[in-house]
Amino acid sequence: MLRAALLSALVAAPFAVGAYLDLLPRWAPVAAGGVALALTVTHAVLRYRRWSYEIRDDALYLDRGVFTQVRTTVPLVRIQHVDSRRGPVERTIGLASCVVYTAGSRGADVRIPGLTRDGASDLREELKGLAIRAEGEDAV
Amino acid sequence: MRLAPQSVPYRALQKAGGVVVFLVFVVNSGGFGLPLAVAAGAGVLLLALGYETAYYRRFEYVLTEDTLDIRSGVVSRREREIPYRRIQNVDVSRSALQRAIGVAAVDLETAGGSSTEGSIRFVTPAEATRLQRAVQRRASDAAAGAEATAGSEASVGPDEEELFAISSTDLALVGALSFDGRLIGLLAFLSSGSFPLLSSVLPEPSAAALTATAIVGIAVLFFVSWVLGAAIAFSNYYGFRLARAGDELRYERGLIRRYSGSIPTEKVQALRITDNPAKRALGYASLSIETAGYAPGQGDDSGNESAVPIASVDRVYRLAREVESFGAPEFSRPPERIRWRYAVRYAAAVGVLLGVAYGVDWYVAPDLPWYGVTALFAAVPPAAHLKWKHRGYWLGDDHLLTRNGFWGRSVAVVPYYRIQNVIDSRTVFQRRWGVATVVADTAGSGSNAVAVDFDADEAETIEAALTERLADAVAERRDQGVRDGFEWLHGEPGVDADPDSSVDASDQTSAADAGEQKPPADTGESRNSADADDLEVPDDGVVRPDFSTGDRDYSDPAERVDTGDYAVDRRASDADVPFGPREPDDRPGSGGARDAAGDGTTDGIRDAEPRPTEDDRDDDAGETSRSG
Repeated sequence: MLRAALLSALVAAPFAVGAYLDLLPRWAPVAAGGVALALTVTHAVLRYRRWSYEIRDDALYLDRGVFTQVRTTVPLVRIQHVDSRRGPVERTIGLASCVVYTAGSRGADVRIPGLTRDGASDLREELKGLAIRAEGEDAV
Repeated sequence: MRLAPQSVPYRALQKAGGVVVFLVFVVNSGGFGLPLAVAAGAGVLLLALGYETAYYRRFEYVLTEDTLDIRSGVVSRREREIPYRRIQNVDVSRSALQRAIGVAAVDLETAGGSSTEGSIRFVTPAEATRLQRAVQRRASDAAAGAEATAGSEASVGPDEEELFAISSTDLALVGALSFDGRLIGLLAFLSSGSFPLLSSVLPEPSAAALTATAIVGIAVLFFVSWVLGAAIAFSNYYGFRLARAGDELRYERGLIRRYSGSIPTEKVQALRITDNPAKRALGYASLSIETAGYAPGQGDDSGNESAVPIASVDRVYRLAREVESFGAPEFSRPPERIRWRYAVRYAAAVGVLLGVAYGVDWYVAPDLPWYGVTALFAAVPPAAHLKWKHRGYWLGDDHLLTRNGFWGRSVAVVPYYRIQNVIDSRTVFQRRWGVATVVADTAGSGSNAVAVDFDADEAETIEAALTERLADAVAERRDQGVRDGFEWLHGEPGVDADPDSSVDASDQTSAADAGEQKPPADTGESRNSADADDLEVPDDGVVRPDFSTGDRDYSDPAERVDTGDYAVDRRASDADVPFGPREPDDRPGSGGARDAAGDGTTDGIRDAEPRPTEDDRDDDAGETSRSG
């Protein structure tokens, strides 16, 4: 949601500059910003609806993506390490994300965004415990 | 051990050579006179020599019991220990000049890091070979366990068995068939500078003459780039040889710059068999062996050092099976309707091209037959069919094979055991056709095994099958590891449960327990891998974890043992203890694992739960009685 606001602000900025230089009518930045806001908010809502993760017997399963739907299966035996991460923007609104790393080349890290602060560290600990219990070799 | 002494002047020249030449040139032409120029050059060279001497004096490598230690650095010191087991491959390369001086560069690759981890520049060729063999021997010793060490100390190493040596006909074919498109671009770029020259020579450029020159020019361009490509391929693969020595593969190649290297078969991530229409017509293919050693940034050039450049298809498959014994693949193709998708895609591409041609026509030259592009539409259906025809996947006993591409067809062979994660993605367009792409990601350097455009249901089946077979493969490996001589702190190795039965059992229990229904033998192994020395095994022989995050309710606080960084869970019952968030409905889809949160953890309840195997129950019951 916040990302949507930021993105729309970004989109509106050049139009604002244009209006400031009297190259564009005064309503242009407002309109562009509004359209962008609507679009990005819709996208964010869809994204949120779509985003889900699940810890199964032997794998972490993620389902995400609005335009390209991506389902990732990360076997617990293949987890290398787990981060919980809080960026500056995330900190201001009290969110955190959890990043799971594998030794893979394409999906080397998967990020679970939009967790609460405790949720992220709990998830990290849980995945850590499961990964240790799964005790896989890294196969590299 | 130290580097070869010859490496000091060589390294100094290598580093300072360019600078010296540049300095001499600048100072000389700057009017300072030749003596000063020479003096400046000599000064820089001396400086470089001094630095390299210091580098030589401070560079030291030692082959210890289980690591290769490298101490290096003049200004900032670095000590690096590389466990033998973690070394992916060892490459030795010698350029013509290096061969003349008698030095060789050794590169040790591990899966970590973004560049070559152990780079030893330079040692004598004999020392390079010795290093290579020593690392290999120790690596296999470390893997095989302690008892093998005594036997192999005496032997120099296993005998080499030659798998493949390139013949001169093959080499000629490599040259002939290796046509690199990039070279054309490079040559076109270089030769574009000569066009003004050319036009000044030509007296009166008529349209016909111009066209003729253009055609001849393009033909020459093709020919030259083909010859160049052939020459590069020839010098790269001259004397190519692939051999197997025990559990490692060795290769050698190169005319001007000699490369040799070794790859433990244990470290092979994936195999890739590539061909193109020309090779297919002649019945040839190429094979490359991928490991995790080369970082993604290092690209194909280094990752393909172990590739068999060309061999008959039979031979390539025989070689491939020698490394990874997959059976006879039977590829299943994507649904036929997907041809329409490709047709639409190509038609759209041709349409865009048509638009561009029209635009060019409109802006630049009004007389060009822009509608000629429409002829390309005729090529759309066969192209779509071919694209469809060359896609496929096959789920073997131990391997996933995928096939893609018409012009550069590549068959990827990925053992289930090597899969790191499975990605299933569907773009908007794919969803419209009801298809999906499944990627089996490995730690290998190349692109992964990709099954493109399969029916959505089929994709889900593939995905499920891959995860399941990975779990089976891991369990199988673990069993092997058990038999090959892990020592047990507790429990008998015989009680290892069949992985299938444990999966079945977990279906009946709540999702939360499922991951925990591990046979007792597992914990023994984990305790081995988790610093066995630091572990204090309590009297009852039960090591309990310390997940110190949650306010976890241990029914028996006395049994809580701090295991340091490692948490080793002995009891299946611990799965019922929530160490995740308290609210299961916190987020969408997150419920599954936490449904059981807050359940009681008393031994009574635990024993009432379904058990994966009889053995497990017996073992647990025994423990309970001991601890109580």
